[in-house]
Amino acid sequence: MGNFTLGRYLPLDSPIHRMDPRAKIMGMLLMLIAIFIPSGWIGYGIIFVCAAGTILLAKLQFGFILKSMRPMMIMMIFLFIINCLVIHTGEPLFVIGPVIIYRDAIFQTLYIVVRLLLMIMITTCLTATTKPLDMTLGIEDLLKPFEKIHVPAHEIAMLISIALRFIPDLIEETQRIIKAQESRGVDMKEGKMQERIMAILSLIVPLFVSAFQRAEDLANAMEARGYAPGEKRTRYKVLKMAGRDYTLLVCCTAVLAGMIWLSRMS
Amino acid sequence: MPIAFEHVSHIYNDGTPYRHVALEDVSLELAEGKITAIIGQTGSGKSTLVQHLNALLLPSAGKVLILDRTIEAGSQPKQLKSLRGQVGLVFQFPEYQLFEETVLKDIAFGPKNFGVSEEEAAKKARTAMQMVGLGPEFEERSPLELSGGQKRRVAIAGILAMDPAVLVLDEPTAGLDPQGTEQMMSLFHRLNRESGKTILIVTHDMEQVYRYCDEVVVMEQGKPKLRTDVQTFFHDSSLCRELNILPPALIRMKDMLRENGFTVSDEVSDVNMLAKELARQVKRHG
Ligand SMILES: Nc1ncnc2c1ncn2[C@@H]1O[C@H](COP(=O)(O)OP(=O)(O)O)[C@@H](O)[C@H]1O
Ligand SMILES: [Mg+2]
Repeated sequence: MGNFTLGRYLPLDSPIHRMDPRAKIMGMLLMLIAIFIPSGWIGYGIIFVCAAGTILLAKLQFGFILKSMRPMMIMMIFLFIINCLVIHTGEPLFVIGPVIIYRDAIFQTLYIVVRLLLMIMITTCLTATTKPLDMTLGIEDLLKPFEKIHVPAHEIAMLISIALRFIPDLIEETQRIIKAQESRGVDMKEGKMQERIMAILSLIVPLFVSAFQRAEDLANAMEARGYAPGEKRTRYKVLKMAGRDYTLLVCCTAVLAGMIWLSRMS
Repeated sequence: MPIAFEHVSHIYNDGTPYRHVALEDVSLELAEGKITAIIGQTGSGKSTLVQHLNALLLPSAGKVLILDRTIEAGSQPKQLKSLRGQVGLVFQFPEYQLFEETVLKDIAFGPKNFGVSEEEAAKKARTAMQMVGLGPEFEERSPLELSGGQKRRVAIAGILAMDPAVLVLDEPTAGLDPQGTEQMMSLFHRLNRESGKTILIVTHDMEQVYRYCDEVVVMEQGKPKLRTDVQTFFHDSSLCRELNILPPALIRMKDMLRENGFTVSDEVSDVNMLAKELARQVKRHG
């Protein structure tokens, strides 16, 4: 689990880290929309340059991004195989056994791979540079306008921030329980069917017990301090948009407009 | 065969931005058949150190020698299971590992994993229950509805039932009341003196170290700063003060008496002896 990098916050100090989370979330949304506009290789090139520039500015390493890609590798290989079998347009390129590989099969797969890569690059720019708590503040603010149509913005934000808050704890707890049960001779990796069921039970039951315990403790602690969901609350941290945040939004909008223009041209 | 660490390092999350060196070039020998206390501040690497003893953690560099086995960095040790049966490790707050329907089943879970038959495991579990002071009335109760201290005993019994040659306990008395602490520590003492088990205890409680342990290892920032026997360690409070440790009350008392002109011999090792000695000296003067 220590190798899981997708969506992880990296505590560095960079201009991107200091940006307003609302600007970053909006920027990410604009860029994600831009990726889905069929603007051809030039368009993707532009988006790639923007994303790579942001990654450099954020002092992130490309290795970190590639690592985030790893969980999707198998899916992509699978996709490639399916595409090779199904797509029969374009010129035939070469033959492997009974299968003829067509030009479009390769291109279609490449298209999806490139899109995925871009999406991961862009979302990483957000998640790796924004503290989970800032992120929820941003989400709450962005959802505020929808409160008029009864979207419970504050509750959603509180839910997300509590969930985020407990993810590292639960991962740690899981590792701890695995170790404790391994000390009692449990083999988490192999064994007969019955042994495996016991192994999983010996992990799940304590994990649930402790998760419920934590939830109860937290609920009590919040209630003891007078928390009530519907009430007006003031904020300790007040978000403020600065010049660089507006610049980011303008740039992202410009990229999106550019993509739309490119797709119209072709 | 002593237990030995040879140039052991342990790095968490190596190769990521979260890289953390928890143990750095640790070379250390631990006496067999004794009770060794491992002390040191939070984050000094005590838990990381002891988890190497049953290969829950593998060294990033160096090697660990335990019970005629060598666990070396870079190689995947074989037959881990048998090692884990011989080196019983009780985690901090072990009550969170209980999961079976009944106390007896939970304690018998360990032995069963090591291939002991159902009846034999139940027998071992009953013996272990007796050792930790849980009466037969607990056998059929759910471990989840016991009190904190009782859960702790069930969890420790679960390891004792495996009958390990080396028993490693990570802060076994944290959060227990003084009476429960006393009972636990005297149990470990008995296990050592009567069955000759090698016992390692991670603890913060200097009173317990002084009363029940033979050897002390002081960890500091991932390194063993000092290893000595308890008598030397608590001979007077200077060593403790140097290490920023509050010495046991008796040692502080002895120091104060000495400063005020009493002569207190080194043999005095508990409150009663000290009281008698003082009475004698006061009588002689008065
Ligand atoms: N699973 C882990 N992942 C990353 N770092 C860890 C992990 N466990 C412990 N550490 C770090 O290693 C250091 C030593 O921890 P630990 O051995 O638990 O110390 P102690 O038991 O003396 O309090 C601490 O700084 C801790 O933050
Ligand atoms: Mg610890």
